[in-house]
Amino acid sequence: MTKGLFASRRNLILSCLLLGSVILPILGGTYLTGQMTQYFIYGIFAISLDVIWGYAGILSFGHAIFFGLGGYMMTLVTKQMIPYMTAFHSTYVGFIFAIGVPALLAVLLGYFLFYSRIAGPYFAIVMLAIAVIFERIAVNWYYVGGFNGIFSIPPLTLSLPGVFSYEIIQPVMLYYVVLGITTGCYLFCHRVVHSPFGSILAAIKENEERVEFFGYNIVRHKIKIYAISAGLAGLAGALFAAVFSFVGPTILGFTMSTEVLIWVILGGRGTLLGALLGAILVRSLEAFLSDIMASYWILFLAFIFIICVMFFPKGVFGYLFSDD
Amino acid sequence: MLEVKNLRASYGGSLVLQGVDMAVPKGHIVAIMGRNGMGKTTLMRSMVGLIRSLSGQVLFDGEDIIGLAPHRISNLGISYVPQGKEIFQSFTVLENLRLGVVKFQKKDRALPQEIFHYFPILEERSNQKAGSFSGGEQQMLAIARALVSNPKLLLLDEPSEGIQPSIVKEIGEILIKINREKGVTILLVEQNVDLVLDISNECFFIEKGMIVNRSTTDHLRKDDTLINQYLSL
Amino acid sequence: MDFSSLMIQVLNGFDLILILILVAIGLVIIYGLMEVINIAHGEFFLLGAYTVVIAQQWGLHFWIGMILSLIVVGFIGLAIEFLCIRRLYERPLDTILATWGISIGIKQFIIIVCGPAGQVVHTPFAASVIFLGIEYPVYRLFTMAASIAVITLTLYIFLRTDFGLQARAVIANRNMSSVLGINTRKMYRTTFIFGSALAGLAGGIMSPLMSVDPQMGLGYLVPAFLAIILGGVGSLYGVLWGGSIIGGADSIFSYLISPVGAQIIVFSIAVVLIRLRPQGILGKKS
Repeated sequence: MTKGLFASRRNLILSCLLLGSVILPILGGTYLTGQMTQYFIYGIFAISLDVIWGYAGILSFGHAIFFGLGGYMMTLVTKQMIPYMTAFHSTYVGFIFAIGVPALLAVLLGYFLFYSRIAGPYFAIVMLAIAVIFERIAVNWYYVGGFNGIFSIPPLTLSLPGVFSYEIIQPVMLYYVVLGITTGCYLFCHRVVHSPFGSILAAIKENEERVEFFGYNIVRHKIKIYAISAGLAGLAGALFAAVFSFVGPTILGFTMSTEVLIWVILGGRGTLLGALLGAILVRSLEAFLSDIMASYWILFLAFIFIICVMFFPKGVFGYLFSDD
Repeated sequence: MLEVKNLRASYGGSLVLQGVDMAVPKGHIVAIMGRNGMGKTTLMRSMVGLIRSLSGQVLFDGEDIIGLAPHRISNLGISYVPQGKEIFQSFTVLENLRLGVVKFQKKDRALPQEIFHYFPILEERSNQKAGSFSGGEQQMLAIARALVSNPKLLLLDEPSEGIQPSIVKEIGEILIKINREKGVTILLVEQNVDLVLDISNECFFIEKGMIVNRSTTDHLRKDDTLINQYLSL
Repeated sequence: MDFSSLMIQVLNGFDLILILILVAIGLVIIYGLMEVINIAHGEFFLLGAYTVVIAQQWGLHFWIGMILSLIVVGFIGLAIEFLCIRRLYERPLDTILATWGISIGIKQFIIIVCGPAGQVVHTPFAASVIFLGIEYPVYRLFTMAASIAVITLTLYIFLRTDFGLQARAVIANRNMSSVLGINTRKMYRTTFIFGSALAGLAGGIMSPLMSVDPQMGLGYLVPAFLAIILGGVGSLYGVLWGGSIIGGADSIFSYLISPVGAQIIVFSIAVVLIRLRPQGILGKKS
């Protein structure tokens, strides 16, 4: 009965949030609408980390690699910067690459790393090293803009080749599209996490050996969730590129990887919604406080982060949304 | 010297010790016998503080040592030789022995030379890496290491495991000598009946996490019903 | 390439290896003993360098600054261990995160106090000297000598003293050590301070040779970690190997290609090597 109570409480909160999100542009004004659009994109990125970390227990240190890669892929496709492929530059193809390439990378990394007995902490360090490698490449590769990145990326465009082409630029329209995608991602992750596949992941997080004993191929499960997580991050990156109209090495570097970790920790690991709200919360706080606090903002954030890691593993929203 | 009252402890998520009561008089050699999984090792580890007990008392010279950190218990004069010896394989014999006395102040860390009277083989090989020793020799090293600090109480968890009978006999003789000459009280947990019959004064039987019977070893030497009852498969 | 330039490259490479080992030794002691991955270790290096910067700004002599770097960072290590790390001993992943947060905090603190731009530290030996047939800065020779001295001292402490014996015992088998009467908690604290102070000293020693800026911590952290894992976690000698390989490779590729290219290649190679042999060169298969 308690389960039912919680389930419906969470659904209640979810519905309220959804309702609030839907009417926000009407009540909130253009500026807020624009901000929230951005925050939702970060939210998807946060959910992607929560899926692999909060649920599968794998700490992905350089997760922004996938986010950034998605952003760059979207950019390269829609700006016709990939040789032999300039004909295919629609938003759709952009998304396919933005999701597919990071997912592929995740599969490769997964095969490479998970099969050896590289345990949690080592994995984190190796991912750190790989993140540095990617950032270095991005900064130094002239074709992808180097240190300055790439500007003027085409916005999301609904199109049918030769028939019509509609750019989604109007803030409110864009907002609803992004909201829709965010909701879709959330529901998708929710399905995955509560599926039999998700239960196995939770078991792996608890005790890997025991699950292996039952005959499951641990590595394959890990690779699968890693790929899903990477693809989602890529999707968020693609949205970022289309909405901000800019990509640069910062979106796949350390700062970004750190930020997403902070969002998920503060928001609450293992609760999907907590991660999403964590991203929104931190970003809006930053917009609000960083003017007042200037360079002290990061110090403050770091402090809260440490406190949460030490004492509040469930984060701000975790207690509200926890399944147990 | 050692009294255990109603000790309850869990390990690996299940309740293993369900209320252990026993006592070890000063100067005696006492054995606890029981089959695998009955709680022998859990009992030992609870006594030295490696496992946090749920309730009960362990009184050493009248003081309750429950909840103390292992190094504090060691400083009270209790030495422990765990199952599997836990020798530092890549350290030399001398280094291993020295680890037995590092808990003392710098000035008190001299190794008592008489340890080599009891374990002459260690003197010959004092600079060899412990990992190169045979099982029996490693066991002797483990016991020697436990003794260099002149403990009041020596705890041994299955000292005979994996060691050939002739060496086990030798170890038994050394333990008797130490008990008689240095007055060290000894508590051992064992499945090896011969060793127990050879050296101990009295014997407790443990089953399902509780002490279910006791007997003097004299009695057991004549009548082995209890042994058959609690140790046979 | 003539003999002169070659020698300079070789000596510089040697210098880099030594400093890397110095940073990594502090890290391996902490990780091997406490199984704590201290992401902020690079920031300790940073703090050591900045201590010298600030000392010079206050008009203090360089050598005083260097000694201070050892003491100040040791103190900071003590504070961090006491306030934060000791609550996280059973949680390795959370330790990574918490120390990550600490490193961000330290970096930001430095930015607030000293500004984001690179600072310059003046060397006490401005001159160059004729060494092995070429002209080479005296200070660089000093850093090599100092690094060798400190590394040797550290190895001596860990391999020849009772303290080192206890530390190695705790690394090898924590439970057995505590049963033998070793206060493992106290050991943790002491080693953390030791490792931190070592990093601070390394930073102090290196400060005249580079532009001291808030971002430099990471540049030493990742190679140091890779060096440790490559050499075999928990093995002091392993650090010597790992540091030599990473530092040496970095120098060689830096010369052949570019510093950035070197970093990419060296990290990639390290990742592959670690994958192929997770226990490192001298580590044991667990």
